[in-house]
Amino acid sequence: MEILNINDNISLYSIPMKKLKTSSLGVYIHRPLCEEEASANAVLPYVMKRGFGLCPNAKAVSDYLENLYGASLGAGVLKRGDDHIIYFSAETISDKYAPQGECLVADTAELMMSLLFEPRAFDEENVEREKKNAVDRITAEINDKRQYAQLRCCEEMCKDESFALSRLGTKDGVDALNAEILKKRYEEIITSSPIYIYVCGDADINAVAQRIRAYASKLTFKPASMPKEKIFERHGDVRRVTENMDVVQGKLCMGFRTGTPSDDGDYIPLTVMNSIFGGGAHSKLFNNVREKLSLCYYASSSIVRSKGLMFVNAGIEFSNFDKAYNEILVQLDAVKNGDISEFEFESSVNALINQLESYNDDQNAMQIFCMGEKISGTNYSIDDMKEMIRRVTIEDVKRAAAKTELDTVYFLAGKEEK
Amino acid sequence: MDMRHIKNELTGEEMYFGKHSSGLGVYVIPKKDYSNTFAIFGTRYGSVDSEFIVPGEKDVTSVPDGIAHYLEHKMFDQPDGSNVFDKFSKYGGNANAFTSFNITAYLFSATANVEENLAALIDYVQSPYFTEDSVKKEQGIIGQEIRMYDDSGSWKLFFNLLNCLYKNHPVKKEIAGTVESISRITPELLYKCYNTFYNLSNMSLVVVGNVDVDKIVKVTEDGIKKNEPFSEEIKKIYPDEPDETAKQFAEQSLSVASPLFMIGFKDTDTGFGGENLLKKSIEINILLRILFGKGSKLYTELYEKGLINNTFSFDYTMQPSYAYSVLEGESGDPKDVYAAVNKEIERVKKEGLSEDDFNRIKKVMWGEYIRSMNDVEDYAVTFIQYLFMDIDYFNYYDVYKQVTFDDVKKRFEKHFVTERSALSIINPV
Repeated sequence: MEILNINDNISLYSIPMKKLKTSSLGVYIHRPLCEEEASANAVLPYVMKRGFGLCPNAKAVSDYLENLYGASLGAGVLKRGDDHIIYFSAETISDKYAPQGECLVADTAELMMSLLFEPRAFDEENVEREKKNAVDRITAEINDKRQYAQLRCCEEMCKDESFALSRLGTKDGVDALNAEILKKRYEEIITSSPIYIYVCGDADINAVAQRIRAYASKLTFKPASMPKEKIFERHGDVRRVTENMDVVQGKLCMGFRTGTPSDDGDYIPLTVMNSIFGGGAHSKLFNNVREKLSLCYYASSSIVRSKGLMFVNAGIEFSNFDKAYNEILVQLDAVKNGDISEFEFESSVNALINQLESYNDDQNAMQIFCMGEKISGTNYSIDDMKEMIRRVTIEDVKRAAAKTELDTVYFLAGKEEK
Repeated sequence: MDMRHIKNELTGEEMYFGKHSSGLGVYVIPKKDYSNTFAIFGTRYGSVDSEFIVPGEKDVTSVPDGIAHYLEHKMFDQPDGSNVFDKFSKYGGNANAFTSFNITAYLFSATANVEENLAALIDYVQSPYFTEDSVKKEQGIIGQEIRMYDDSGSWKLFFNLLNCLYKNHPVKKEIAGTVESISRITPELLYKCYNTFYNLSNMSLVVVGNVDVDKIVKVTEDGIKKNEPFSEEIKKIYPDEPDETAKQFAEQSLSVASPLFMIGFKDTDTGFGGENLLKKSIEINILLRILFGKGSKLYTELYEKGLINNTFSFDYTMQPSYAYSVLEGESGDPKDVYAAVNKEIERVKKEGLSEDDFNRIKKVMWGEYIRSMNDVEDYAVTFIQYLFMDIDYFNYYDVYKQVTFDDVKKRFEKHFVTERSALSIINPV
């Protein structure tokens, strides 16, 4: 990976991946996740992509992309611990496959730069429409019950912390925005945030750098620094929340504190521990809660890295709540006690390595991986990670598991359930 | 097994393929420098195939709905009591399976030990083992899978639409069946279906990735068990489906935030696979983009009025025996969207399509084809889906280049018929 620093705020990363037939660009604008900013950050990228210097309106954007053999343009926001990331992504087939020798990659980069540095759609009409769409996205979070259960569990668990905020902001926060506020937000953000730009595939990194420099030279940048991540800590009783909705399947989500930040020596063992516990078809949750007890179709666990959290999800009959809840804790205890077969351990290590390796074939996954490393400050490469995973022992896993404590139990139950 | 080699100069792709004496079709697509390899072992058998005549028999066999999917789940149990996932896990392979309307497929992806993983795949798909107990055990798991879909607005939206478009065709039935239908599944029925549809002459193996072709062929040959290929086709029986829709409207209430809508157009120009089917699908995909793409007149109008948002999308699904296109999204007023769609179709009928639009969108189709070869999984799955429709995906260009503006104009008249459309809505409770 080659890194070019455009200025103190903007860095450009080149990840050559010429074996793929596409090239892609990802722009990640790093912000803190906080109530004052979240809603504006969530609406901003959608307004920006509605019109800019090169393509003054949405129709022009669409025609431009279609002429590049259907290049794609995406935008949105991500939440990584207490960080909020505004992103734009574009992808085109590489020049090698352009039937008439067109410069598809350069043209796609040009579109991205224009979008980033000369957005023009900050008028009332556009902003009001995108505000409505942003509220739709917030309310639509209820549509996927599995994700919704985890979202609610997380909200309850991290009450009073910025991490409880949705990446999409709040309805009230969005309602309070207007064109003038958003335009001002844009002007602040573009000059005072760390911005990471990834170019993947078969692209001329120096040509892209030159274009970014040309745009950036017209702006005055301010120093940008982000607060260091802080993991979630709490003392006291387990929180238990049951909510009722018109559903036929119950959704159980259990939130745990891991006590392990991502730059801690126990972080890698924790990922192995999660894999053993609930990270796939080789895991204890899959084989016991699903296969042995036939309680569910899915039961899995996942880690929220920068916040020191782990969540377990399962879709169950309402009446099986106790059975599933107890079995999940029994399985966690088994991991804590080191009751881990050689097969479970090896499968878990292999699954993690397999997943890391697969990023080498996927430009988007690779960008997200590198961006995550950058944000957490660990800056591990895929090879570093693989090496660390291979060195993990069962003792390490036990140590990481021992710190894991149940914090919040959320259950989405049917209308009539108690 | 003789393997033929072909190279596509436009895409730079290469492929080796051949037919084993057991009847199994084998396709290997090497991807140099890739980390990942993906293999898929599939059969031409899906949820729509509940009535059929076994080669050599006279009578029609009828089986409970959802059995193809149930069979897929039960293939993971092995005669020695082991679980298939364990074999893959040991070699770091990520194994899975799926059942769609027309295909059941078993697959894995792996970045190491490809040959060991492939041997495991070929072995377990040829090792059925069903007992009363093991069949019963699955009812709890699949019961929860069905329940999960019962709460899914987008899933119900889709099946309610298919029940509008189709009067008789089994595509309108849920893939997993119902809690009632799966309760009638027995080991004997599973064996009957297995012995019919999992005959290797009804199956294909596709491997895409950084592989040594000779080794893949050897592992495959070594892994194939004794199989007598069918000399005649399995006769799949589908009821007659009239051109008209069953109804034009369906709605249901579920816990969703705002109304979800899906509009469908029933394609009645069916009954064929191969090049003609590929050509038709390119024509319809071009039309969908011209009429409803982000740069279209209708999209702009609906988006600016706030009648649709970024969730709006469209798709065309085709099989030899049925086909339909759909438009879906969220809207405060789905009926207004439906009316606007039909009005736009009337307008285009009068004013005609634009040749500039056609030329621009045809380029998009080429980009999509190139892009589809990027990811080993997407590529292999797409390849086998087309293969089972007798379409040569590798040589897509040969058909693509034939598609003219005139073809697309004719297709528009045939496909976008208001009387053969329907609207499905999921309302918030």
